[in-house]
Amino acid sequence: MSKRQVAMVMDLNKCIGCQTCTVACKTLWTRREGMEHMLWNTVNTQPGAGTPHGFESMGGGFRDGVAQPGQRPSVEDFGKAWNFNHEEVFFGGKGEISLAADGGKHGKGPNWDEDQGGGEFPNSHYFYLPRICNHCTHPACLEACPRKAISKREDNGIVLIDEDRCKGYRFCQEACPYKKIYYNEVEEVSQKCIFCFPRIDEGVTTACSRQCPGRVRFVGYLDDPEGPIWKFVTKHKVALPLHAEYGTQPNVFYVPPLSPPKIDDEGNPTDEPRIPTEYLVSLFGNGVHDALKTLERERERNKRGEKSELMDLLIARKWLDMFGPFQKHPRDAARNRPIPQNQQKPRAPQQQVSEIRFYTKEEFKKGGRA
Amino acid sequence: MRTQRVKNVAPLLDPADPGWRTVPVEQVSMMPTPLAMQPTPYIRNSWEGREYGRVTDLAVASVHDGRQWALRASWRGVSPAGKDFPDALAIALPVRGKPVLALMGAADAPIHFLRWQANKSVVASQIAMGIGSSARGPAITCSAQARAEGDRWQVVIARPLGGAGDLAPLVAGRKTGIGFAVWMGGNDERGGIKAFSIDWAELALDA
Repeated sequence: MSKRQVAMVMDLNKCIGCQTCTVACKTLWTRREGMEHMLWNTVNTQPGAGTPHGFESMGGGFRDGVAQPGQRPSVEDFGKAWNFNHEEVFFGGKGEISLAADGGKHGKGPNWDEDQGGGEFPNSHYFYLPRICNHCTHPACLEACPRKAISKREDNGIVLIDEDRCKGYRFCQEACPYKKIYYNEVEEVSQKCIFCFPRIDEGVTTACSRQCPGRVRFVGYLDDPEGPIWKFVTKHKVALPLHAEYGTQPNVFYVPPLSPPKIDDEGNPTDEPRIPTEYLVSLFGNGVHDALKTLERERERNKRGEKSELMDLLIARKWLDMFGPFQKHPRDAARNRPIPQNQQKPRAPQQQVSEIRFYTKEEFKKGGRA
Repeated sequence: MRTQRVKNVAPLLDPADPGWRTVPVEQVSMMPTPLAMQPTPYIRNSWEGREYGRVTDLAVASVHDGRQWALRASWRGVSPAGKDFPDALAIALPVRGKPVLALMGAADAPIHFLRWQANKSVVASQIAMGIGSSARGPAITCSAQARAEGDRWQVVIARPLGGAGDLAPLVAGRKTGIGFAVWMGGNDERGGIKAFSIDWAELALDA
C-alpha cells in the first residue's frame, strides 16, 4: 500500500479530441525503437471501439477479488504505426502515384473510428475519452507478473515496470483490464505510461496535463483536501473511475459529459440527454446519475450569479491550480538540478531533425544524439 | 546419463552430424510444472484447465573432448512461425549445494541455466536462486545449433568444461546433476508454464 497516491481527473466536458496530450507523451517518452506503435496516452471517440480496439471485451482485472484471465492485444489491435510512400510520391517521378499507408494494405489505426460516435440523426452523439495507465491501487499487472518486475511506488503510488527484470512474458498485458500495457518487440520488454514520474519527482505535472489546451486534466494527490483531485472525487463526487467493476481501483477519474437534450420526432427537445445516461453508467458506474445532477445544479447556480466552488474548479481560470503541488515549470526544475559530471562539456550542435525517427535505447538516453 | 569422451566435439555441434549416431541416447521424462507452483494467482487462474507442458520425452545425448561439452536434445514440438513466444530449451546444472530443481534453486544453492530459444542464435547464461528469480548468469562462451525436422527439434548446446564462481562445474571424470525444461511457444508457454524434468538426473562425464 502506497503512503500517498497521485491521481488525475479528466473533465470530459472540455476535451476537444485534439490529441495534443497524445503528441506530448509520444514525443517525450515513446521515441525508442520498438515503440513506434505505442501511444501511452490515447484519445478515442465514444461510443467506439477504443484503443486497443475492443479492449473492454479482452478480459483481465478482478471479479470478487479473483484475478480473471485476459487476452494480449496485438500490435494490430493497438493500431500499427503506418509507413507511408513519401519517397515514391515526392521523388519517384511517377505522376499518378498517390500517398498510401503500408502500400494501401493498412489496418485500422489507433483512432480509426474518430468522430463516428453513436445514435441516429438528429440524436447522433459522441464525446472524447482520453486514457492513460490508471496507476491502480490494486494493479492487476503487478499481481500477475511472475518476475516481480512491476512495482507501485510507495511515495506516490505510480506503477512502474522495471525493464531490467521484465522478461517479456506479457502476463501483465493479459491481466490489465484497461489494456494499457504495450510490448516492445525490439527490446523484448513490456512498457507503459509512467505518469511522468521524473517530472512529478521534481514538482512538474505530467506532459499530457501541462500541454492540454482544453484544461481537461487535473493532477494532484488523492488525499489532499487543498488540491483539485480530492475536491472532485471525494467532496463533490463528480469524478468517477472508468469501469470500476474491473476491480483494480483505478486512480484516473472522469467528470462525465453533459449533453444537449434529445430531439423527439417532431423536432422538439425532450428531458432526455443526447448521450444516453445508461451508456455513461456502463462506463463510469451508477455514480453518473448523481454526478450529472450535481454538475447541472452547480451550473444553474453559476448562471444565477451565485458562487460555485465546483464550477470555479472545473473552469480552471488559474491554469496552474489544476496541478496541485506539481506546478513547477519543467525548465526551472531542470535548472535546479545539478548537471551530471559526464554532461559538463559543450554540447555538440544539434542535428536538424526534420523527420520522425525512433532512437535506440542508448541514443534516447543521450537526448536523441547518436 | 553418461557423457562420452570423443576426440573432437567440433563436428558434433551440428545436430545432424552422423557422429551422434554412435553416442548413447537416454530418454528423459518430462512433465508440466504443477499449476499450484505457478508464482501468481493470475497465472494459476488463467492456465487452469488449459493444457501445457505437452512434451513428455526428451532424447538426450552428450559428449566432451576434455575442453568442450556438447549436449544434443531432441523432442517433438515445433511450433508454427509467427507466434508470440518461441520454442525453447533450457539445461539446468547445479552450481553448489543441493538445489531443488523444481524450486529453481535457493540463495545458497543456485542453479545455472543455459537457454536456447528458436528465434535467437545465442544461448543465454542465467543464474536462478528461486522461482521467478533468474537473472543474467556468468559470462561463458556457448553455442547452439538447431534443426527442425517435421515436428521434431534437434538442438545441440555446447559450453567449455570447467566451472568457477557461478558457473556450474563440468569436470571430466566427475559426476553432477542435470535437469531440463522445454517450452512450446505456439501454446503461449513461457516463464513457469513449461515441461520440466522432475528431478536431477545424474550426469557422469568420462575421464
